[in-house]
Amino acid sequence: MASYFKANWDDLIPIPQDDGPEPLTPISYDKEYSEAMSYFRAVALKDERSERALDLTEKIIRHNPAHYTIWHYRQQILFSLEKDLYKELDFITDQVIDNPKNYQLWHHRQVVVEKLNDSSKELPFIKEILSSDSKNYHAWTYRQWIIKTYNLWDKELAFVDKLLDDDVRNNSAWNQRYFIIFFNSNEPSEELLAQEVQYGINKILLAPNNISPWNYVKGIIAKSKEQDISVLEGLCKELEEQSIISYHALGCLVDIYESRAKRGSIEDKNLGIKTCELLAEKHDNIRKKYWEYRKQVLI
Amino acid sequence: MEKTFNRSKTIQYFKRCLDLLPNNYTSNDTHRMTLTFFALSGLDLLGVLETEIPKERRDQWVNWIYAQQILPDENNPEINEKICGFRGSPFSGLPFNPNGSRVSNLPFDAANLAMTYTALACLLILGDDLSRVDRHAIINALKYLQKENGSFTQTYLGMECDMRFIYCACVISYILNDFSGINVEKAVDYIKKSQSYDYGVGQGPGEESHGGSTYCAISSLYLLNRLDEGLLSKNQTIFWLLSRQITGFQGRANKPPDTCYSFWIGASLKILDSFEFIDFKQNFDFLMETQTKYGGFSKWPEYPADVMHTYLGVAGLSLMKVPELQELDPVLNISFHAKERLKTSVIFNNN
Repeated sequence: MASYFKANWDDLIPIPQDDGPEPLTPISYDKEYSEAMSYFRAVALKDERSERALDLTEKIIRHNPAHYTIWHYRQQILFSLEKDLYKELDFITDQVIDNPKNYQLWHHRQVVVEKLNDSSKELPFIKEILSSDSKNYHAWTYRQWIIKTYNLWDKELAFVDKLLDDDVRNNSAWNQRYFIIFFNSNEPSEELLAQEVQYGINKILLAPNNISPWNYVKGIIAKSKEQDISVLEGLCKELEEQSIISYHALGCLVDIYESRAKRGSIEDKNLGIKTCELLAEKHDNIRKKYWEYRKQVLI
Repeated sequence: MEKTFNRSKTIQYFKRCLDLLPNNYTSNDTHRMTLTFFALSGLDLLGVLETEIPKERRDQWVNWIYAQQILPDENNPEINEKICGFRGSPFSGLPFNPNGSRVSNLPFDAANLAMTYTALACLLILGDDLSRVDRHAIINALKYLQKENGSFTQTYLGMECDMRFIYCACVISYILNDFSGINVEKAVDYIKKSQSYDYGVGQGPGEESHGGSTYCAISSLYLLNRLDEGLLSKNQTIFWLLSRQITGFQGRANKPPDTCYSFWIGASLKILDSFEFIDFKQNFDFLMETQTKYGGFSKWPEYPADVMHTYLGVAGLSLMKVPELQELDPVLNISFHAKERLKTSVIFNNN
């Protein structure tokens, strides 16, 4: 490594980091990182945009992929030298595979794709990253940006269908489903919303204690002019008749009973109290104090 | 056997972090200030910062923090007004100066909102009176960091913008007692639009509800005095938060519990006056499972400790009023004791 710097950077005097007499939380840097940073300070001071500077940014990034100043410098060099940005995408792909939760990398990819104005490689790339962690928040944030910016809504529902077939508890995929329906420029038809409610109910029946489709169906109902909570009441009763215990179903019933009790129904008041007791004592014991509070509200 | 909180090992862990962090923290080099904040605030919550660290060393630390401040250029303040605030570490290569720097050595150098927030918090924790903080420069720089959609980005260079940096901007404005750098209507609008169909909050509109972004949203609304208007349904958001308790807390639906959410979710509930609904014992027991043999807390049981999860684990315990821990302000994420110092700061009273 020493020979690398000697061979390429002989004309520059490296600038070391001055951490003062009593540094806070100093980091035990690798010698190579410290040295590369010292040359970076010297070369950036001149704002040199060269092959060797590009190479230097790569060396630093391998030690510290979160160094946003280095990424910014690298972008300036790439654009000034008119480098092949498709090669840069390949470099980023390798980096993201090693550091899938690094904000700076995902942002750098966005900058490069915007410059290329070509999104054709993006959905396959994100799919690859999601294949090793289907709930990676960064990947989903980026995916939403790509879909909105480049109008790639067409095949997204099929993609989400597949993810939910693989794992019905993938809340990120459920969120993406909602995003597809409500964040594109077309207002969803009531027919589509009815289909989505039914889709969610079918998934609830597969795993009644999975919170994600419960939230999804409630979210769709809240946006619909025709669907209302009684659809879920039917489902809750159906589960009850089959002796299937779902604390989400019971919680949903508490909401329904409470709204009718407020309008004066004694029967619903009593059903609500009984359901709160069941949740507090038996089926959702970790939220015991919450259900006791909900019971007090009903009384 | 029931596990108990190991105070002395936790104190030793934070002290080790302040002395030297191992090599695997290199990827945190640009945001060292946040690591400093975790360790200092940790010792403060344990009530031992003054007894464990000599005064001279604490004064030197105050100097180190001020050395990261970028101040306006003396001759022409406009040329660097957009980059004023605090850096996370001295990576830009300037000589150490406890009064901060007015020049930048790097063409790509700039302050960072998260670093400015944690630097101000660290100064309060260390008992500094903020007299060397350039309040006007920091508030002025905020204006260049807010986006059209109301969110903030962390540095002027342009990076991702999301809920985290609205929170940083709000805490900075609170500590400096000046909200004129924030377009409040736009910020509140962004927070409203980022509430999901399940009444948690995502990092931005359309994104999945997340414990961290929900905390940032609720704290920001609190500091902006817009909590009632900004939350679409306070009761539903409380239920979303409570639903995250599994044993400890998860950050998103159907994810495993993780130490840090005992703070992010716990503090959110505290701000909404609903912390008492959680199951204290299960939360405590989960945190004891992530407490490591050598001191410090990890993200998940059987994982190595790190400074962020250690701090947020201790903060989570403080919320539950575990004995011998200082009480924590859930919004600013510093002890009430440190927050009290604002009243004696030069800046807060000089409006």
